[in-house]
Parts: sequence; C-alpha cells; structure tokens
Amino acid sequence: MKLEVDAVSKAYAIPILDGVTFQAGQGELVCLLGPNGCGKTTLLRIIGGLEVPTAGEVRFDGRPVVYGGAADLHVGVVFQEDRLLPWMTLVENVALVLKAQGHAKRARLETAWRYLRFVGLQGFEDYYPNRVSGGMRQRAAIARALAIEPEVLLMDEPFGALDAQNRRIMQAEVKRIWAETGKTIVFVTHSIEEAVAIGTTLIMMSARPARVRELIRNDGTRHPHALVDHLNQVIMEEVLRQQGDHE
Amino acid sequence: MAEPPGRTWGGWRQHLRLPTLLLLVAVLIVWEVFARRYGAYVLPPPGSVLRGLGTIIQSGELWKHTAASLYRIAVGFGGALAVAVLMGLASFLWGAARVAVRDVVTVLNSTSVFVWIVVSLIWFGLTDMAPIFTTFMITVPVVAANVLEGVESVDRRLLEMGQVYRLSGWEKFRAIVIPSTIPYLVAGMKVGFGLALKVSVVAEIFGVTSGIGYIMNYSREILATQMVFVWALVMICVMLVTDRLLFESLTRRLERWR
Repeated sequence: MKLEVDAVSKAYAIPILDGVTFQAGQGELVCLLGPNGCGKTTLLRIIGGLEVPTAGEVRFDGRPVVYGGAADLHVGVVFQEDRLLPWMTLVENVALVLKAQGHAKRARLETAWRYLRFVGLQGFEDYYPNRVSGGMRQRAAIARALAIEPEVLLMDEPFGALDAQNRRIMQAEVKRIWAETGKTIVFVTHSIEEAVAIGTTLIMMSARPARVRELIRNDGTRHPHALVDHLNQVIMEEVLRQQGDHE
Repeated sequence: MAEPPGRTWGGWRQHLRLPTLLLLVAVLIVWEVFARRYGAYVLPPPGSVLRGLGTIIQSGELWKHTAASLYRIAVGFGGALAVAVLMGLASFLWGAARVAVRDVVTVLNSTSVFVWIVVSLIWFGLTDMAPIFTTFMITVPVVAANVLEGVESVDRRLLEMGQVYRLSGWEKFRAIVIPSTIPYLVAGMKVGFGLALKVSVVAEIFGVTSGIGYIMNYSREILATQMVFVWALVMICVMLVTDRLLFESLTRRLERWR
C-alpha cells in the first residue's frame, strides 16, 4: 500500500483523533470529509510529518514516517494559504524547495519552469506572488509541491479562499494533474460536492474524537447525487453528535 | 506603474509644497523683525546666517566638522547596527536569549544620554571615543528593538512550509527570516540614524576639538551666535539628505516585490 494510516490517535488537552485507520493505493485520490473541527487538518499534518501522533503509525510503502527534521519524508503539501515567499518570484519559490535535494541551480530553475508550465503558469514565472491572482498563487503552490516529485501529495482545503468559479476551475485542474501524474493525493475538504466530484475514495470522519465513520469507493456504481445526499445525511448526524458533546 | 514622487519635475514641485514655502517666508519676516528688535547676539538676522554659511563653505570648515561628526556617527552607529543584528540572531536561535535581549533593550532604552556622556568622559577621557560610545549606547536599543520585532514577526506558516520541504536551517534563515526582518531593520536604522546624529552632536560639546557639536558650542563661547544658527542649519540638512538619499532609495530597492 502506498499510504497506510494505522490506528492514529492524537490528543492535546482533549482527544482529537481516536484510532484513525485507512489505506490508499498508488494513484488514489482520497478525499477526507468530516464536520468542522473534527481533526481533518490534524490528520493531514500527521501524515505530512508536521505533527507527531500520540499513538499509531503512518507508513509510506510500508516504511513508517519518522518524526523530526532529518527524516527523508517525501511529501508535497498544499496548504489552505499559498505560503509562497512574497519576496521571491514564482519560479524562485518553486526552485527553492528543490535545494533540499541538492540539484544544481540551473537544473532547479529548469525543473521549476517545467512544473509552472505544467500547472498553466507559463509567462508568469518571473512575477512576484502579490502581482498574480489567488488562483494563480495556489497553482504555483501546487507546482512547488509537485516539483519535489513527492510520493504523496497532501492538500488541505486548498481552494477554500477562492470564489466559486475559480474553485471549479481548480477542481478540474487537480483532476487533470492527478490523471497526468498518477500521484496519490490526500485532499481535505469540507465540501461534499467537491469530494464527490474529484475523489476516488471518500473518507467520512466522525465527530471528535474522530474515527473513520465510512469509507466509500467513488467508482461510479453509485450516482453522484445519491452519494452527495447520503454523505450530507451522515455529516448532519456527526455535526449533531459533536454539538451534543458540548452540552 | 506610477512614477515614484521625486523622480519627475512634477514630483519635485510636490516636494516644494507651496504652503510650506509661504510659511517659510513668514518665518523669515518675523525672524528679521525680532532680530532687529533684540539684537544680533540674541537672534542674528537671516542675512548674517546666510553669510556665515558662505564663510564656512569657503574656508572648508563646513566639510571638516561635518566629516568629523559623520565619522563618529558612522563608527558608533555602525557598531550598534552590528550588535543589534547579533542580538536579533541570538533571539531567533534561542528562546531564552530573546527574553534577556528584551530586558537589555528595555534597560538601555530607559538610560539617559547624559549618563553615557559622563561615563564615556570618565572612561575614555577627551577623545573621539566619547561621542562614538555615547552614540553606540543610545542607538543599540532602538535598532535592536526593531530587529527583535522583525524576528518575532516572521510568519510561522512560512517556516512550517520550509520544514515540509526539508529546507536546512541556514536556508530557512536566508530565504525566510532575513527577508521578513529587513523592513524592520531598515525602519530601525532610519530612526537610529536620526537619533545618532542628534546624540553624537551633544556628546561633542565635551572634550573634542572638531565636529558640529563642538563648533556650535565654541561659536556660543565666542559670542558668534550667527554661527550657532549656521551649524544648526547644516545639521538639519545632513539629516534630510541622508534620509532622502540613503534610506528612501534603500527602502525602494528592498521592497520591489510589494
């Protein structure tokens, strides 16, 4: 299995994740769904090596993720915000992250150009992030994540800040990128429609402390509308359960 | 893109604001009236100040004393800049150092200029070191406070991005921390340099035989009040010129990406 999340738990002051378990094969596009605040982002950060789980393990191709800076974890992350360095041009931003792999400067720039072209930013390579639109900045962030040729691409509500039209464009773009690169993608979203539109595997998390409530193969055997209705019903149950907890 | 002001003739016209010019004329008239009323010792007339300026330009005194002052400022302020950057670096690397640096800055900030002048006279006697040391001690906390603020304002989310992409500590420092801190550093330098100019001149009243502060005090002693005004004018000009030429162009260059 490309990605195995094995009984991952995380607690701060209160338990957030409670034994989350799922697997994703090579080339799957996994969408993580769940009520707001259920720990989707925390789970993504654990998979990305940014946070240490309280218990459990994450494995890539059977190798457990080692937490702490030195590990050779190879994931690309697209955050909710673009997180581009505003004082570097788009091409410099992408080339920067290739440094860790020790390529020569010329090769880094060439790779950065190639990936910017791949996400449709040809002609904007030498622009500073503040000079381009939010959608274009998010494209550059995707190019940066792809440029390191990651084993897994993690995306944390990457289009939350975009308007509806740009959002649809970027969803189609993610599907294209996924189809052309064959990457394994884990995509966190709070939009059920978005998940059904792009995901091959949909994982519905429960209310906090989160477990996997339902794992659905979105292989076309169920009609998208029926799937959306079903997931809406499930998420309402979980939202109510989470609210009940607070009372 | 709009031409920045100051580059074109229209820009220059904007710099020479009409209301300011009118006010200047009014001040000159009042000045002249009062000068006639109270006499040249108390208030020398504008004409004699202008003549005095001509004299020091011709005699080369202008450059001699300005250069002496600028040299002391450069050394004192340059040293302060280096120390402030090191303090910022230390507080970035160790959380414990940050607390200590903050406290040092607070204490230095509440110390009077006069303390450093007197202490440096005791330590260094009647030498260049008195104004240099005073300038140094007064400007360190100002620049350091800004650098510190810059270091603390570094966007954690960008550092996290650096962590995800396995950037080395040095790479994160070079690509993320330095560029985020530089605008704060430049702002601190601007304030610090203005302060350095004001403070070093005060320190020059004691013990040295050159510099704008020395010559102003000397002019007062020999009852040449017009020269006191001349040197005050020189000081103001030095301040304006460095601010415009040095810091504005520096800021423009560093913030191309905004």
